[in-house]
Amino acid sequence: MAGWLGELELAYAGRQGQTIPVRAYASAPLKLQRSFYPEGRRICHSVILHTAGGYVGGDRLHQKITLQPQCRALLTTAAAAKVYGRAQIPVEQTIHCHVADDAVLEWLPQETIVFEGAQFHQCLRIDLDPQAQVGLWEMTRFGRTARGEAFSCGYWRSHTEVWQGGVPLWIDRQRIEGTTRMLTAMNALQGSPLMGTLAWVGREVSSEQIQRLRDLAMQIQGEMGVSALIRGVVCRYRGHSMGELRRWFVAAWQLLRQGQDSHLTACYPRVWPR
Amino acid sequence: MLTDSALLTLLQWVSPALPIGGFNYSEGLETLIAQGKITSAATVQDWLSFELTFGSAHLETAVMVRVYGAIAKADFDAVHQWNAWLSAARESAELRAQNWQMGTALINLVAVLDRLPPELQTGQPYPWNVSVAFCIAATLADIPLETALLGYLHSWVTTLINAAVKLIPLGQTAGQVLLRQLQPHIQQTVQQSLKVTDDNLESSTLGLALASMQHETLYCRLFRS
Repeated sequence: MAGWLGELELAYAGRQGQTIPVRAYASAPLKLQRSFYPEGRRICHSVILHTAGGYVGGDRLHQKITLQPQCRALLTTAAAAKVYGRAQIPVEQTIHCHVADDAVLEWLPQETIVFEGAQFHQCLRIDLDPQAQVGLWEMTRFGRTARGEAFSCGYWRSHTEVWQGGVPLWIDRQRIEGTTRMLTAMNALQGSPLMGTLAWVGREVSSEQIQRLRDLAMQIQGEMGVSALIRGVVCRYRGHSMGELRRWFVAAWQLLRQGQDSHLTACYPRVWPR
Repeated sequence: MLTDSALLTLLQWVSPALPIGGFNYSEGLETLIAQGKITSAATVQDWLSFELTFGSAHLETAVMVRVYGAIAKADFDAVHQWNAWLSAARESAELRAQNWQMGTALINLVAVLDRLPPELQTGQPYPWNVSVAFCIAATLADIPLETALLGYLHSWVTTLINAAVKLIPLGQTAGQVLLRQLQPHIQQTVQQSLKVTDDNLESSTLGLALASMQHETLYCRLFRS
């Protein structure tokens, strides 16, 4: 059976210091919840919902997100994404974002659980205008480890690219195959089922901020790394606890967004697990 | 075909004595050895063979195929674009700095020894990666693509084995045995790199990213990556 062909299109505009959604379209299985403003009208929060409960082989999902100049949007998902493993057909998700000058996109989906046998390929491409920024993260669990399932077959490919003015700032094209070698090698997962990547791209991040991101990691269990990007910063996690990973990434994200705009206070979207 | 002068030039470009600073870098090995994860010739082999088959060297070689082709067609814009792509794909600030330092040193040598086209003097918008500079050097010397890739990987593996020999430490003979054991992996990586499509330019480098990021805060460091 052919899978879903889901589409989502979102566009935001800045109007007198407010962020207004000017286009919001979604087709099944994707759905958009009503936008809301927990931090005031300047930042629009939108929650994307996957109504089918999970991705199955053959699903193709396309998302297009546009931020016009001088606006700010935070996008997240209503729940963890599940990629089922039975069909042995790939699931493809492409997300293309364009962020105009003086706009900031925060792309903070909840985690993805890649079931044993799943074939998942995601392409996230973000085009920034010269004065635009993006904060993003990706948290992935390989196999339903709570049930004793390992990611022993299938594959996960995640291509994330951030370009600014046509120049690549960050190319991150990772591949994990469901093989014993990938799951155990210290070059890849080293026996840990969780991998996390967080980045802020489009502006220089100071060495003091990088040090503070490392200090935050000191309180977290798992393996962590932080390093400067060409214009930005990247944080990586490998470990066993989604709670620990989320705790570090939320703290790191809050530090980075406050570094970008000191008027912002700590915020925790209500759909995220407490 | 490899002419005598091309062979001699290749030997010059892959020599560990080439003054471009390769001996300063361990690409994460110093971290892994300090953490007790790499303790023997066998674990070095595991690490390097993975990097060759699925990791950083796999991606590097696949991009080199494209760079070499672009230079051969005198498509210099594409050479700069692939160099930018590789720079943006580096796992850490140290690995980026290493590549830019060695790439710049190598191209400066090429400029002295060969007729370097003016369009290839300086990488834009980022400095040359060492693998891109190596492709430029190889095409100017008429070194065939596969031979150039074998030479590049031989030189890369030798540098890292030397770092491991110094850090673990291992005997010199153990280092040479390791180099010989990695030969089939090098050959396989070159053959694989010729087949990779643009959509499949990807690698598994979480371990390298972590090791190289953690190197930035390692207490005692002999190497610069």
